[in-house]
Amino acid sequence: MRISRSLYRSLLRLCPPDFRAEFGAEMEDAFAASLAGARGVHKIAVWLRALGDLVRHGTGARHDAWRRFRNTSGHVEYRSGGWWMDTFRHDLRHAARAIARQPVTSMIVIFTLALAIGANTAVFSAVHTALLRQLPYIEPDALVQIYEKRPAEGVFTNSVSPADYQDWAQLSTSFSVIAAALESAVDLTGSGEPERLNAASVTASFFDVFGVRALHGRTFAAGEDTTGRNRVVVLEHGLWQQRFGGDPSIVGSTIQLNDIPNQVIGVLPPDARFPIGEARLFVPVVLQPTPERPPRASHYLTVVARLKPGVAIEQARAEMDRIGRDLEAQYPDLSRGHGSHVVPLAPEMVKGVRSMLLVLSAAVAFIMLIAWINVTNLLLASTAGRNREMAVRAAIGAGRTRLLRQMLVETSLLATIGGVAGMLVAYWGVQLLATQMPPTHRPHASVLMSMPVLLFTAGACVLSGLLAGILPAWHLVGSDPATALKEGGRSPVALRRRLRFGLIVAEIACTTLLLVGAGLTLRSFRQVLMEPAGIETAERLTFNIRLPRARYATPESFAQFFGELARRIADEPAVRRVGATSSLPLTPGDPRYGIVVDGYERGPEDGPTRAHPRAVTPGYLSAVGMRIVEGRALSDADRHGPKVVVINETMARRYWRSGSALGGRVRMSAEQDWREVVGVSADVKHWGLDAPVAAEMYIPLEQFPQQAMWMVVESAATPASLVPVLTQHVRQLDPNLPLSNVRTFDDVAARSVGQRRFTMMLLASFAVLALVLAAAGIYGVMAHLVSLRTPEIGVRLTLGARPGAVMRQVLGEGALQAGIGLIIGLAASFTLMRGMRAILFGIEPTDPVTLGSVGVSLMLVALLAVLVPAVRAMRVDPITALRQ
Amino acid sequence: MTQDRDRVDRFLPLKPLVLDVLLALAGGKRHGWSLIREIQQRDGGDRILPANFYRSLRALRDEGLIDEVRGEATDDRGEPLELARDRRRQYFELSPLGAKVARAEVKRLEALVVDPRARKLLKAR
Repeated sequence: MRISRSLYRSLLRLCPPDFRAEFGAEMEDAFAASLAGARGVHKIAVWLRALGDLVRHGTGARHDAWRRFRNTSGHVEYRSGGWWMDTFRHDLRHAARAIARQPVTSMIVIFTLALAIGANTAVFSAVHTALLRQLPYIEPDALVQIYEKRPAEGVFTNSVSPADYQDWAQLSTSFSVIAAALESAVDLTGSGEPERLNAASVTASFFDVFGVRALHGRTFAAGEDTTGRNRVVVLEHGLWQQRFGGDPSIVGSTIQLNDIPNQVIGVLPPDARFPIGEARLFVPVVLQPTPERPPRASHYLTVVARLKPGVAIEQARAEMDRIGRDLEAQYPDLSRGHGSHVVPLAPEMVKGVRSMLLVLSAAVAFIMLIAWINVTNLLLASTAGRNREMAVRAAIGAGRTRLLRQMLVETSLLATIGGVAGMLVAYWGVQLLATQMPPTHRPHASVLMSMPVLLFTAGACVLSGLLAGILPAWHLVGSDPATALKEGGRSPVALRRRLRFGLIVAEIACTTLLLVGAGLTLRSFRQVLMEPAGIETAERLTFNIRLPRARYATPESFAQFFGELARRIADEPAVRRVGATSSLPLTPGDPRYGIVVDGYERGPEDGPTRAHPRAVTPGYLSAVGMRIVEGRALSDADRHGPKVVVINETMARRYWRSGSALGGRVRMSAEQDWREVVGVSADVKHWGLDAPVAAEMYIPLEQFPQQAMWMVVESAATPASLVPVLTQHVRQLDPNLPLSNVRTFDDVAARSVGQRRFTMMLLASFAVLALVLAAAGIYGVMAHLVSLRTPEIGVRLTLGARPGAVMRQVLGEGALQAGIGLIIGLAASFTLMRGMRAILFGIEPTDPVTLGSVGVSLMLVALLAVLVPAVRAMRVDPITALRQ
Repeated sequence: MTQDRDRVDRFLPLKPLVLDVLLALAGGKRHGWSLIREIQQRDGGDRILPANFYRSLRALRDEGLIDEVRGEATDDRGEPLELARDRRRQYFELSPLGAKVARAEVKRLEALVVDPRARKLLKAR
């Protein structure tokens, strides 16, 4: 009974204190009596009832008191429930008035929070779309991507050869469906303007892997990826809408692709996206050996599969490893050191943007932190004037929690307004981020209205409101009303000063981190741009032409067409040089072939002997400004002469370890004839300025005819004026050929570093924002301190202190804050910046130049921010100061 | 007078517990504890929950339906010693307004009971 009584007594705390003092003992007695009257399990019932009673009426009694306080009219309502809503409304009204009373402070707070919440929401939207959300397929966890791996060369994510794919599909038992695809492009002709469209060539099983069904018609049936049955096409929803007016009757009709009639068999649903480029339409791929594409030695397929129910990815890996070993034994020449690499599909699809998103997430988190500190600081300064208000309210009976809640409602209201404004920032930010995301994971602005993002934003608002409010509120409420009233509105300086000092140090530390992050990306971006590309991109225009098989049946006709086009363009007076290549540097799409090098002995450690062949016109090497380091370039004479090749330095080094490659012989595995190496060119950064160089061979177009070629035209004329001329030349040769990807070479190069530039720009703007916020923070604190200490400074000046010394002291104090923050920030950056390594190039995360310049510039900005208050302190007039 | 009636009407209908308290106090001044016991005996069982009861009691006092009078702790013998110690027992009595309100409520209930429809209902049982 004793225990029950004391337990009940402690629960009585739910009641307001005055109520407890008045009736507590009697309530306890009443409870004890009813407990004594109960037996066995009924005791529990008594307890439960008492508990409910206390929760409901004990807390309710608190509200009774408040209502009486409010109801000055004497009008009493017998109404139960909703009491907290009532006080909340009151708090809200009061908060709105308080915010309106200090419009400038409130605007700055709202603006700061809007930027921070907006940036966080935008980045979260992208992170949610790319990294958190499930893929929009049936049972997405069962989806895998299968790469070819060559561990000896450190390659784990190579494309797959058709023969390997077919072997895997036949031998494996772990997958319910397996499919291969490759990015391609087709010319849509016939109705309207000829148009080059991104397409995907896929095996018939492709859509089954993802479990995607057609919106109208059907997807591919088994066997449609064989010659004779493959003249069918599935349209992407957007293309169907734009080009065919969303007419369902298109299914069954015929459209011209590369001048070949293809029957439309289906249209995909609007949200169907696949990890294969930005395909507008899908055609079957026929995986039959062709002379140009030897089935096992050339690698160009993307392979996806669906695990059978109940099969773990490890089991699939084990099985695929076994198959890989069998294939190695079976084809020692071409498959040695090859294996397969089975990985979950979902992370694979976003690996390109993952590190960028993570770095950006960290950056916006720091922005949030800095914004929070600044707002806290601002509110601390502004609440200094409200000490008296709070003291008065406390003195006439407002409870501490009540005042605290009032303050928090106020800051939460500010944060909510900031959050709403932040949605606008986020709307813009999402669209900006979307440009950098793969098509399968491109966030649409509507993602802002999705539940997780709304919850995130709401959470950010509430959290930032509470966080920003808690320190000022606690400080304000915590101070003794009597002292505050006596001091006439002046605050106890010491505690506030320590607090704000700490906040500024934290702010500087965060800013340091952001600056270091931005500095590192900036430096590595410069590093990338400084990489010698091996080509010149200025004043050059590029475009692509693919010849349809229907009208250009023979390899000879390809060479004839492109050769003729190059000659006609070269005759234009504005054109300086012109060339054509099958693979343009810094653009994707690049086949690799197995080769045989005469006299080259492959050691057990060496990877397969291979190179990237490019069919080029003789003018190409000079048109892109490539340098020949040894031997000669290709010439017109080579077009119909003996088979020759120009190789890059990397290839010469790799396969002619001793001595010159000149005069050496090489051939592609599928060919019979040897080619003589007549020249060695300087390396070109074909795969990106930040990517390593592989072996390349430049072969005269006539000796290695290609259907699709890139033209590079060097001219001093503006690209815009050149395009009609070039189009005219193409039309003269063939009126039904579209030019695609018409761009300046500079633009092509810029796109290849687009993501890097984007990350750098975003981080740099975050860093600038942080710097401005930090400077404003330091300025605000120091200015406030100086104004608080004006009387003290006045006394000191009267007693003979030199103005210079006063200024130095203020400056020193500011420098101390900045210095401590800087040191903490730099120390933290040593560990935190390791996470940046994935997006850095050519520099270490601890790059001394970056750290040093960040330190110097931050100190300068900090001192600049303190300078104004310091000078003001120096100029304090002792007489006025003392009179205050 | 009309103003007074308005005030009375505003409290109606009364919650059963409130009416119970007012009726119990009609017999004279009582303290909270004995009120609980009496109401419990009349209604049976232990329906009365302390916080609810005392909250209502306080509300009645604050609205002026009952008045508080101080008494002496020594009156009470049935209490455990440690709790009876140092306590000034509060007594309550019906205020004139409270009496009016109780009367009005009883009248209202009476009118309900003499309603022919209510009689029919009672007979049917």
